[in-house]
This record gives sequence, structure tokens and C-alpha cells, in this order.
Amino acid sequence: MLELSLFSILALFMLGGSVAMIINKQPLFSAFGFLVSMLGLAGMFALLDSQFLALAQIMVSVGAIVVVSMLTILTVNAKEKNLPDEPYKYRWIIFSALLVSPLTLLMYKSMTLLHEQFNGIDVVDTKAMGSLLFSQWVLPFEIVSVLLLSAMVGAIVIARKKRTKVQER
Amino acid sequence: MKPELFFMLASLLFSIGIVGVVSRRNLFVVYMSIELMLSAISLLLVTFSKVLGTADGAVIALLMIGVIAAEAALFLAIIIHLYRRSRSVDSDAYQGLRQEANDA
Repeated sequence: MLELSLFSILALFMLGGSVAMIINKQPLFSAFGFLVSMLGLAGMFALLDSQFLALAQIMVSVGAIVVVSMLTILTVNAKEKNLPDEPYKYRWIIFSALLVSPLTLLMYKSMTLLHEQFNGIDVVDTKAMGSLLFSQWVLPFEIVSVLLLSAMVGAIVIARKKRTKVQER
Repeated sequence: MKPELFFMLASLLFSIGIVGVVSRRNLFVVYMSIELMLSAISLLLVTFSKVLGTADGAVIALLMIGVIAAEAALFLAIIIHLYRRSRSVDSDAYQGLRQEANDA
């Protein structure tokens, strides 16, 4: 019962946050909705007995990704007139929601056919996760580390000001 | 507690992400919708990890958090680059490739 009520509260937070994210005109308010949604996801991970993932979610998604998104939004600081003009926004959202809803139903139905019950599993703590990560999943782990490094270099190269071109102008 | 509730939540979040990508033109909202779709998939992975009784799904979800971080860094850099060029965060404003094709 406690689990169900926790789930309901977190699910309400996540759905409300994500709907607020796609409805708001100002990107900063969308980022707040995204923040609420990511916090709810961390709670969901905790509810699913993955302590370490809940912590990692809060640290990486909330602490790093959302904060960097907000910083970028504030740095770009697009004025009201620079924001895209979307007169039929709600109409488009409702139309595409109607189009997507059969897909949602299909995903839900096909996933519920797979498994009906949770297995009796002990908590996935840091120790279990670490031993799996460094034995069976060590190659994907290394690939992700190379990916992060290359993404960092790529982000610096893309976002850098091209000095020579600015001077020519 | 049944896993159906988590399946429902994950598919709803994924669909909200699709709706955001399709119907909005603000690049930041598109970016956050893509992140939301990825997060819905990681929620699904953790749910399956608990359903199957192994920790493998949780490990994949942890690796996915790294992939999401890499995607966020690149996407934000691209947004900054595009904004510097055309002073707009409208996804309809970027037609540089099309114009070059027409000139040639």
C-alpha cells in the first residue's frame, strides 16, 4: 500500500513535469518541468530497489544535465521575440498526441504480455552493481568512457568561437 | 505492486517525449523531449531488471546515464553554435544546408 501511494505520487510528479515541459513557451519553465520529471525518475529507481542508480540519477541527470541545460538557456537568453512563434501549439500537441496514443497502447499491451510478476530479488546495491560492471559489462563500460571523452572534445570543438572568421568580419 | 504500472508509466513518458519532438519548434524543448524518451527507456530497463531478478538491466541503465550525458553535452553545444549563427532557437530557422544545395 505504501509502495502504491509512493508510486502514484512519483508518477504524478513525472507526468505533470513532462507535460509542463512540452507545453511551456519559455524554455526555462520547461527545464523546471524536466527537473521535476528527473527527480521523479530517481524516486522510481529507488522504488525499484536500485539504490545506486537512484543516486547516480540524482547526481548526473539532476545535478549535471539539468543544471547545464538551465545554464545554457540562461546564457543563450533568447528574448520573447526570438522564441519561435507557435500560434497553433496546442492544436499540434493534441493532434500528435492523438496520433501517438495507439503506439502507447501497443507498447503497454505488448510489454504487459511479457511478465506479470516481480521476481523476488534482493536490493541491487553498489556492490552487486560494481561486480557486474567490472566483470561482465567491462567492455560496454570502457566504450561509454571513450564516448564521453569524444563527446567532450566534440562539444568543445562545436561550441568554440571561430576567432579567424570573427576577425575577418 | 505489479510491473504493469511501471510499463504504463514508461510508455506514457515515451509518448510524451515523441509528442514534444514532433509538435514543438523550440530547440530546447526538442532536446529535453529526447532526454525524456531516453529516461523512459532506462526506467523500462530497471523495471525489467527487477522482473527478471537480475542486476543486468540496472547496469545497462547506468551505462545509459553516461550515454545521456554525452548526448546532452553535444546537443547543447550544437544549440549554442546554431544560436550564434542565426540568433534564433527556432528549428525552422536553420536552412543552411538547403540554401547551399539551391545555390549549387
